[in-house]
Order: sequence, then structure tokens, then C-alpha cells
Amino acid sequence: MKNNMVKKVLSVGLAAVMALSLSACGSSSSATTAVGTTAAAETTAAGSSESSASTEASGEMKKIGMIQFTTVPSLDNCYTGFLQGLEAEGFVEGQNITIDFQNANAEPSTADTEAQTMAQKKYDLIGAIATPAAMSAYGACKADGIPVVFTAVSDPVAAQLVESLDKSGTICAGSSDQLPIEAQLKLIRAFLPDAKKIGILYTTSEPNSITDLEIIKELAPKYDFEIVDQGVTNASEVVSGAQTLVSKGVDCFTNFTDNNVVNNLPSVLQAATQAGIPVFGSEEGQVYDGCLASISIDYVALGKETGIIAGKILKGELKPEESAIYTSNEGSPFINTEVAESLNLEIPADYQDGTMVTTGSNK
Amino acid sequence: MQIFLGLLEVVLREGFIYGIMAMGVYITYKVLNFPDLSVDGTFPLGCCLAAELITKGMNPWISCLICLAAGGAAGALTGVLHVKLRITDLMSGILVMTALYSVNMVVTEKKAILSIFNMPTIFNSGIGGKLYGMFGQWGWAVMAGIVCLAVKLILDMYLETRSGLLLRAAGNNPKFVVSIGKDPGNMKILGLMIGNALTALSGCVLAQQRESADAGSGTGMVVMSLAAVIIGSAVLGKAKYIRSTTTAVIGMIVYRACLTIAMQLGLETIYLKALMSILFVIALISSRYNDERRKKNG
Repeated sequence: MKNNMVKKVLSVGLAAVMALSLSACGSSSSATTAVGTTAAAETTAAGSSESSASTEASGEMKKIGMIQFTTVPSLDNCYTGFLQGLEAEGFVEGQNITIDFQNANAEPSTADTEAQTMAQKKYDLIGAIATPAAMSAYGACKADGIPVVFTAVSDPVAAQLVESLDKSGTICAGSSDQLPIEAQLKLIRAFLPDAKKIGILYTTSEPNSITDLEIIKELAPKYDFEIVDQGVTNASEVVSGAQTLVSKGVDCFTNFTDNNVVNNLPSVLQAATQAGIPVFGSEEGQVYDGCLASISIDYVALGKETGIIAGKILKGELKPEESAIYTSNEGSPFINTEVAESLNLEIPADYQDGTMVTTGSNK
Repeated sequence: MQIFLGLLEVVLREGFIYGIMAMGVYITYKVLNFPDLSVDGTFPLGCCLAAELITKGMNPWISCLICLAAGGAAGALTGVLHVKLRITDLMSGILVMTALYSVNMVVTEKKAILSIFNMPTIFNSGIGGKLYGMFGQWGWAVMAGIVCLAVKLILDMYLETRSGLLLRAAGNNPKFVVSIGKDPGNMKILGLMIGNALTALSGCVLAQQRESADAGSGTGMVVMSLAAVIIGSAVLGKAKYIRSTTTAVIGMIVYRACLTIAMQLGLETIYLKALMSILFVIALISSRYNDERRKKNG
């Protein structure tokens, strides 16, 4: 019996060893992510072991954790920008800051565990990209008061991360990626002076889309549009959803930052092309993929602003409670000239200075 | 050391909270031999319902009871589909899981994320609040442990009753149940009700601890709890003095500990899924090894 017990314990031990060996692969393959954080946390030696020149780095090493909820281009851009923002504030990874970057694989339970772990290690700050990551980080850090800096959260007030956009009032600071919907409506009106109905395909489980839909429905009458919306629940319903909207006689489509719809953009484009109507995107990437035009948030710039906020908090120049939430409501126009030509649409005078692209020219 | 203790608390707290679900899955998977996929839907049902009820001002403990009932109803649906309408076990689970997605969206009024930050929960009001005052962060683990222990004791007591014995027989030896004039199908429905009620309770407790609910939190719950049940039985085997409900909870704690250790060692989270599968395989092999050994000896 005892012997048996030993074997069972061994099997668990084996699992741990496997984890170790796997982690070794992880750390060697990716130099950009701050892996091996236990060692770093114990000795703060990650930087100094790399180069003796790091003595010029002033003060102690700051440790921050980053949680990105899932891998999509806009969120990846946020992280790139975040690092740029930190650098602008004088924080360079490996020199005076260690970054423990974790992806939550789109699972709230994983985001939770990551956030809890980071809170236990008493990091100086936790960065969170996308709403579910921010929720986990805030939940984990609330008791300890570790500042949470989020980005790509479209409605931080509704998510109760902050009390208001002007003054956070909590340990959270950061930026919101609320879509420039009004600017998008203006763009559509400029392209299609006679259009009546805008078709919108959205996924019912994506909170941003629900908020955006409410906003656009409120704003549409101002520009003399009628919104025809169609909710879907998963990828397989996108095709039939788009067809349904076409059959309801919409004059164009416009997208939100709806991950499911954006990931299945080709299905939407196909339906629209057959009907001879344009699709307006929610981000520049979609214009490169064949949408007519978009007023697009620059996620790298958004991430950079967020990184600057984080840098200021690390330096003690900014208190999260008193910070205002940065919102990028400007956005800049991207227009696909190839698509405009195929639809026989002229580029409106007001948008001549927008970024002109053709399909696939970003690749 | 402080970091270690802090992480230990996280592991225990999460282990206890998800352990409630593991006990439920133990009932369906081990006792009834029913691979119940509806768990992926009942877990977020518990999360969302709890958050919604607490937002509406409901007492957190009563919210727990309502979540239990809601989970039980979902389990009953799976059972009826399988037993009365003769849909296969996997398919009944998938159907209920899919349907629950709509239910969850109705519950949350179409929001995918619900926040209940700083609202009264079982962790920050009443006993939970006192525990937090006394032990700080450890108060959470203690509170989760108390709920988990209470569920375990009640479940153990139930399994000793006449109905509990019939439930166990319905999985092992349905002919026996028939021979004493009872319907094993009804016992299956009952078992699924218990399993899903506990899963929803687990979700409810988690939502109260993290003070928010996410309609997408069900992903991977079936696998996680199956892993816990199997790891538990592999690690503790058939040690006579430990009840199976306890092994399920311990399995969950071991599982959460492995994940945390892996993350501490710097494993990137993208590899966690592979680690999960490896753990699973090791546990399955070692539990089969144990079984074969016992057969030889016995």
C-alpha cells in the first residue's frame, strides 16, 4: 500500500518536471516576454545578469504584470503601444523594469489565476488588455491596492472599473477604445448620400457590440439613417446573418469591433459584394481586407497613451484614483480605393486626405 | 515566503471553489458513468445568476440557494432528454449547454460581463466579512473551505441514505435498482440534478469571490473538473479512510496547484492546455494501473 502511494506521488512529481521542461522551451524561444519570473522576483537579477551596464539604470527594478485576454490584432497592437508608452516614460524592459506578460487564452478562469498570481507577487502595477482581463485584474488587486492600468475596454464605467471617465475613483486607470461611431456615420453619409438603411451584424455575447448598437441606434436618426441589426451567436451564423440583412434591403453594412464578425469578415464581404453594397469596417485592418472605408482607432497609439499613464503611475506622478480615462474618440479615415472603384463610388471631398489603401496592400 | 503563502491561499481558495463543481462532476461521471457536458453551461449560469441577483439586492446566501435550484433544473433537463426522450448522453449535455447560453444572456440582460464590485457577497458580508477582518486574504480561502466542506458533508450524508444508495446502484448495477422496483432512469435524472446544482453553486461562489461574472466563463469547465476527479482518484486511489467526495476536492486542489506551479516556473499560458492534457493522461494511466493491480491482488 505504501509503495503504491509513493508511485502516485511520483506521478504528480513527474507532471511538475514536465511543466519545468516545457517552461524551459518557453523561455528560450521568446526573449521579449519576461519569463522565469520567480527567479526575477526573488533576486531582481533579470536585468543585472544580462549586462553590467545596467548600473546606470536609476533606482530599483519595477515589476509589472501584463494580462492580454486573447490574441487578436487590435489587442496585440495595444501591447506594442503599451511598451512604447512605457519607454517614452523612461521604462525599458530588462533595464529598469521587468514585464511578466501573460495571455489568458480567452478564458476568464485563466485570467483570474494570472491576476491572482501577480497580486500575490506584489507587482508594482498590472496592465490589462480587454475588458475580461481588466475585470480579473481589478478583482485580484482591489484588496492590496495594486494599480491596474487597462486598455481596450470600451465602457469602463458600465464594467464598474472606474466611477467616471473624468476621475477614476478606484485603483484603475487607463484608456477606453469606444468606437468613434458618430464619425463613422458621417463617413457613411458622405459616401452614400441616398442610403437609408445600415445593416449591422453583431454577436450577442460580445458586450462592446451591445453597447455600440445602443449608441448607433441613438445617433442614426441624426444622420437620417435607419439601423437594421441582426444578432448572431457564433461563427457559423455569420453567413446567414449577412444574407438576412441583405434580404431586408440594407444599403450598406457597418461593423463594430465584434471579434466574431471581424474574424468572419470574408463571409460578410461576399454577401455584400453579391448584393452590390459596401461594407464599412471598424478598424483599418478591415479596410485592407476589402471593406470600403473606416474611421479607425489607432490601437498602437491607444496602447501608447496607456503605457504613458502606467509610466506616470510607476513614477508616482499620477494617482490612479485621480486619473482621467483616456478615450480616443478622434479616429482617422482609411479608404480602400479599389473597392470604391468597383462599386463606382467617388471618394467624398472631405475624406480626400484620408489614408488611401488597396486590398491586401498592408501585407 | 510571503509570496508562497499568498499563492497557497489562491490555490486553496480556487481549489475549494472549483472543488464544489468537481464533487458534482464526481456524481455524474464516476457514480452515474455519465459524461455530462452541460456543466460548461451551468457553471456560467451560476456566475451570471448570482451577479444578477446580487445586483438586484438579493441576499448572497439566498442567491446561492437560487443558483443551486437553477443548476438542478438544468441538470433535470439533461436527464429528461437522455432518460425520457432517449437522446444519447453526450448529445443531451451538448443540447443543454447550448440552450443555456441563451438562458444566460437572458439572465444577464444581454451583457456578457456583470460587475458586482463592492456589493455584499458571502465573502465580504456576515461571516465572510468577519473572517476577512480576522485573517485578511486567508479569510477568503477559509470561507470557500467552509462552503466546500458543508457541501461535502451534506453530499456524504445523502450518499449514505436509501436514495443515495440507489443513486450509486443506478450507475453500477441498474438491474439491482429495477429488481427492487425502482426506476434507474429517475435516479439518473436525480444524479444529474445534483451534479449541475453543485456546478451552478460553484459558479455562484466564484462570481461572489471575484465580484464579477462572465458569460464566457464556462469554457473548459468539463475538462477541468473531469481532470480533478481523475487526478484525485489517481493520487489518493482507494484509500479507505478518504471519501470520494474528498478526493474530488483534493484532485481539484492538486490540479490548480500544478497550474500555479507551472506559471511560477515561467511557463507561458499558451502551454497550459498541453500541460492539462499531460496531467490528464498521467492520471488516467495511473488510475488504470491501480485498478489492474487491485484486480490481480483481489
